[in-house]
Amino acid sequence: MVHLIVVSVTTVIFGIASLLLISRARKRLSEGSIKRYMDNFAICLAFIVIFSVWQTARSIFGISIDVEGLATYPEYIFIVFAYIAFIFASFRVLKISEEFGFKEDGEKIGQIVKQKSSKTKRLARTKKIKKK
Amino acid sequence: MLELKDNFRKELKSLKDYILLVTVDAKSYQGTVIDLVKFLVNEQNIPGVYVTLNKPYDIMQRTFASNNIDTRLVIFIDATSRTDGSKKVENCLYIGSPEKLSDMSVAMDQAIKALPDDKFLIFDSLNTLSIFNKPATVARFIHFLTGKMREWKIKGIIITLERETEPALLDELTQFSDTRIDVGGES
Repeated sequence: MVHLIVVSVTTVIFGIASLLLISRARKRLSEGSIKRYMDNFAICLAFIVIFSVWQTARSIFGISIDVEGLATYPEYIFIVFAYIAFIFASFRVLKISEEFGFKEDGEKIGQIVKQKSSKTKRLARTKKIKKK
Repeated sequence: MLELKDNFRKELKSLKDYILLVTVDAKSYQGTVIDLVKFLVNEQNIPGVYVTLNKPYDIMQRTFASNNIDTRLVIFIDATSRTDGSKKVENCLYIGSPEKLSDMSVAMDQAIKALPDDKFLIFDSLNTLSIFNKPATVARFIHFLTGKMREWKIKGIIITLERETEPALLDELTQFSDTRIDVGGES
């Protein structure tokens, strides 16, 4: 029981520390996609932290872990909310990758550069031959 | 514009990567921008990123195209057109506002990293950035940008209207740059 409480309290401390770090990071960012993603991520984390706090409180106050018991329901609700928030956060990441992803553009540009440089070389060679 | 080309060639031809500060007067601004991009894209066949805070992508694209600049080699980051959030169209990413510096930084980083070896980044312009952001924020952003340009090992060009730029900021930026070219005006 004591071990369980120690683990739960440690988890809560880590969770709160993470939220504080996110809050500090958020202050440094200007408005935009990255900040909105960070908000989504913070919401996910907040639900998980609330879940952990609830569970820790139950462990400390010795409320029995019973599926039938009312005290367990909010835990599940928080976890469900956390997963819903994760979906939104993942969707946000997908949008960010669509907006900020330049990999395909870069590859296309690379091909054009190659074509152009080989064309220039060919032209230079033709000129040389003509001169001779 | 021969002045720019000569200075450009003389100062930077031997360098693979550099940070160049171009100060212009309002009259020479348009011509200088066109000449810079033309020199890099058409003459040197280098792809790059063009960050515009002055004119929207459509206008820049049209201007470059009418000057026979191959715009296929340029990724545009448009921070001047007002859009709801970021939006990507063709080879342009609309940031939505010049105040969204975090998004602008991420966009520049991603665009530069996507391009092949030799590449350039033109930041147009510093004085417009100063209109929309606090001086301390602009100073920090420019410090970040020059640091990143070194890290990316690219040809970095920062354009600014000399008269509209705070002298302290200009001095600091000159210090970070490899060279400074003054086009037009008294200097």
